[in-house]
Amino acid sequence: MEVSHSVKERTIAENSLVILLQGLCNRVTTVELRDESTASGRVTNVDAFMNVRLAEVTFMDRQGTLCHLDELFVTGRNVRYVHIPDDVDIRATIEQQLQAIHRVRYFGGRDKGRKEFPRTKHR
Amino acid sequence: MQLASQVLDEPKTASDLSFKDYTSNGSRLSWLDNSGLGFSLDYPTISLHAVSRDLNAYPWEHLYVMVNAKFEEDNAKEAPMAEGEEEEEAEDSDDDTEPIAEFRFVPSDKSALEAMFSAMCECQALHPDPEDEDSDNDYEGEEYDVEAHELGQGDIPSFYTYEEGLSHLTAEGQATLERLEGMLAQSVSSQYNMAGVRTEDSIREFEDGMEVDLAPAVAGQFEDAEVDH
Repeated sequence: MEVSHSVKERTIAENSLVILLQGLCNRVTTVELRDESTASGRVTNVDAFMNVRLAEVTFMDRQGTLCHLDELFVTGRNVRYVHIPDDVDIRATIEQQLQAIHRVRYFGGRDKGRKEFPRTKHR
Repeated sequence: MQLASQVLDEPKTASDLSFKDYTSNGSRLSWLDNSGLGFSLDYPTISLHAVSRDLNAYPWEHLYVMVNAKFEEDNAKEAPMAEGEEEEEAEDSDDDTEPIAEFRFVPSDKSALEAMFSAMCECQALHPDPEDEDSDNDYEGEEYDVEAHELGQGDIPSFYTYEEGLSHLTAEGQATLERLEGMLAQSVSSQYNMAGVRTEDSIREFEDGMEVDLAPAVAGQFEDAEVDH
């Protein structure tokens, strides 16, 4: 998944397990919602607020009715579980996502480019 | 666009909602018809939205929106023609389930669905959950600079605020600061110059050899402008 363009989102992701979900992009998996409906499809994007975008989705509502949706966006608030496919190496996925963030952050080298979150002691 | 109620077999055209009146602004999602009647949904109440092209499930391609709220036809603020499928009647018997309402928006132009979906995604991203209990989301603080700590430079700031920074200026830094402030002062005082355009005065002062087309720096150039700076 392309690293977020937002400094704030990158930092939130770096400091929470949402970064693992971001590493699931292009994988097919199931998301269980708070209301016990489920959405199975290919993850296209997960942002720092755990909003999840899926494509080619089979959606089962809480009554058990199935329907097919081309694209689905679920707000992070309504996500209860995200299934991690068995063949996903969790640690490696997290490390890869962290490296992607660091590549963006340190683009241009140590002393070039704009620093994220200036380390000021006075505000 | 026609507002469809799942109860009926056909989209019910209470009135003609044209697509251009679908607005996704910062705070609410609104549908209005030509006469201005309509209704709106607050983004935080929207649980999910989706594009449905499965004609077996529903006879028209549409934008499906699930709202985490009771939606009544007699909403005080909204026009009475606003309708949605209300499942809360069936769910009242369940103690713990939250009320939900489902909306299916069938645009007259199917190709608009992608744009509608994307616009809603962006607006939803602007409304993170205010009840998110993760207190670690306060990221105003200092970032851990891995490289700096490895190089033993963890305490050297890369950026200063005003007062602190002035005391750290080298002589060269001081000269640069004065020059920049001079440029700023000149651009503020020369109100009728376009920003960034070199005038004869500024060319003389900053001789860097760059050749620029001189724009007329006549004060009267913008006399007919109504804005008073």
